[in-house]
Amino acid sequence: MNTNSNVYTIVYTTLIVVVVAAVLAFAAMTLKPKQDANIKAETISQMLTAAGFSTKEDLAKLGNDKILEKYAEVINTAFLIDAEGNKIGELDTDLGSIELADNLKLQNSNIKSGKDVELPVYVFDKDGSDVIVIPVYGAGLWGPVWGYIAFDEHCDEIVGAYFDHEGETPGLGAKIKDEPWFREQFIGESINLNNPDNSFDIVKGGAPEGVSDDSMVDAITGATMTCKGLDAAIDTWFKAYMPFFQKKAAAAGDDCDEDCEEEGHDHHHNHDHNPEEA
Amino acid sequence: MNENLKNTLLNPIFKGNPITVLVLGICSALAVTVQLKGALVMALSVIVVTGLSSFVISLLRNSIPNRVRIIVQLVVVAMMVILVDQFLRAYAYAIDKQLSVYIGLIITNCIVMGRIEAFALGNKPFASLLDGLANGAGYGLILVIVAFFRELLGSGTLLGFRVLPESYIPNNLVILPPMALILLGCIVWVQRAIQKDLQED
Amino acid sequence: MDYISLFVKSIFVDNMIFAYFLGMCSYLAVSKNVKTANGLGIAVILVLLITLPVNYLLNKYVLQPGALSWVGESFADVNLSFLSYIVFIAVIAAIVQVVEMVVEKFLPTLYSSLGIYLPLIAVNCAILGGSLFMQQREFLNVGESAVYALGSGIGWYLAIVALAAIREKMAYSHVPKPLKGLGITFIVVGLMGVAFMSFMGISL
Repeated sequence: MNTNSNVYTIVYTTLIVVVVAAVLAFAAMTLKPKQDANIKAETISQMLTAAGFSTKEDLAKLGNDKILEKYAEVINTAFLIDAEGNKIGELDTDLGSIELADNLKLQNSNIKSGKDVELPVYVFDKDGSDVIVIPVYGAGLWGPVWGYIAFDEHCDEIVGAYFDHEGETPGLGAKIKDEPWFREQFIGESINLNNPDNSFDIVKGGAPEGVSDDSMVDAITGATMTCKGLDAAIDTWFKAYMPFFQKKAAAAGDDCDEDCEEEGHDHHHNHDHNPEEA
Repeated sequence: MNENLKNTLLNPIFKGNPITVLVLGICSALAVTVQLKGALVMALSVIVVTGLSSFVISLLRNSIPNRVRIIVQLVVVAMMVILVDQFLRAYAYAIDKQLSVYIGLIITNCIVMGRIEAFALGNKPFASLLDGLANGAGYGLILVIVAFFRELLGSGTLLGFRVLPESYIPNNLVILPPMALILLGCIVWVQRAIQKDLQED
Repeated sequence: MDYISLFVKSIFVDNMIFAYFLGMCSYLAVSKNVKTANGLGIAVILVLLITLPVNYLLNKYVLQPGALSWVGESFADVNLSFLSYIVFIAVIAAIVQVVEMVVEKFLPTLYSSLGIYLPLIAVNCAILGGSLFMQQREFLNVGESAVYALGSGIGWYLAIVALAAIREKMAYSHVPKPLKGLGITFIVVGLMGVAFMSFMGISL
């Protein structure tokens, strides 16, 4: 048989393409439910870790079902907001029909291009007070980097963070996930509400000496590109959430007129050092 | 025949090593050798993919139209890699997450294509399978050696366990990609000092 | 993004060879003399320049989640991104095959000196890497992806010609015998990589 004739070549390639596409589509479809369950449990365990309910390692031992149960137990409410910080939808939090915002990539491009956004806000109940968890998403060196950042109920202090990536270099960029010290330094930091374009910084060496800055953490040596990407992701997403943060801060300010001295003090502190950066 | 098979199997490990002698598959050698664990899993995946793709292409070798052979080869390799990727994502999510970019890089690993072009197209399926497996193993050996030194000197650990005392200050230069090339150069140096017939004039 | 800064950035700051170490196999094998390096470098620029915009359009209108919504409402939820590796590599392979046929027909001397490495452009990590970076960076239009392709290709071309020139000179140096050839080349590329890292801090 002449394997070099045009007809043979065309028939052969068509056949190969059809067979391969069929095999792949079949594999993708049969494996999809299992993959989705894995992704859901993974997302939830990242949020639970950021909010400080457990650690990623402990959750991994529990298995997918237990992770969903744990989530249903501690979640208070989950909803979507628009670019003005107004609530525009609810996410189901009942066990069995848990809904998560799984379109961070789409939202990220919508934020950048100024289209309508649906940003998720997860409110957990921890020891009687609210913990608010929001996602961030952006591009690292090799692929997407993302994370979950947990705030106290007024959004003026970060109480935890968790970061992940698709394929950053092990031992370098991958440290944003692997090195606990990196995410632990976010605890106690706050957002610079007066500078919406650059409300948080990841800088080599951390805050320079003599500058007291609550919105600056140390970058990872050897992972410049990944840290830059993560920094840009945080800035972009914090900017999108800015109206929401400002509403929370205003609400906290109203409360403070009455009774809470300490939080009022925090606010002054924020104002004190802002001129230095401007 | 047996002598032949033995050669097919052993030659790529040292004398005809795909990385240090044939200069194939360098890209991923640089990307995955920062930590020993990544290098080990990558080595295993490459062994599987080279072996199976060589086998399948060798089965098809007499029917592939010459003008489109590269596309057919790549489609077969890419299919295997995507299948492995999808399968890991469903049943070993944690490992897949760690490996995703490297799994993709296997498609562009020149060893797979290089062995298909140079061996599987002209040999029987079983011999091609062995050739693929052996070349994967030779590749893996170099990866593991490079990763051993880079993790030991760059982080003071091996497979994540600390082996050097805390007082050792990790050498950040070793973690940077250029150092992998320089280490590879040293490995070639050692190999050619032992095996004089490989030396170039 | 400004076209010029994207162009300069992809040549120097994001150099395929020295910043990402992509496309090393053919880079090391075909850099023995400037003439063949020149040929391969041009082939890489050409292939990148054709494949990237094609893959960009495929990604935008076929592969990415929701890309098929132009076909009709019912296709809006289709996500074919699991096929992206295979589609990209198939496009690349097809274009490489065409380039191979053209070179074989019109430049037989170049064809014989490139040998096995011309078909291997298809598995040149720089080419697939270019498409994957393009997918990840979400360029706004075809123009940006073409500029990025041209810049990356020229960066790769510069890198291979520079190495080939160094290797031609190195023929006259007294290198220890076991290091001669491949060994010293690895080390030279490593040192060139260290030098190029100085570009990484520059933001345009």
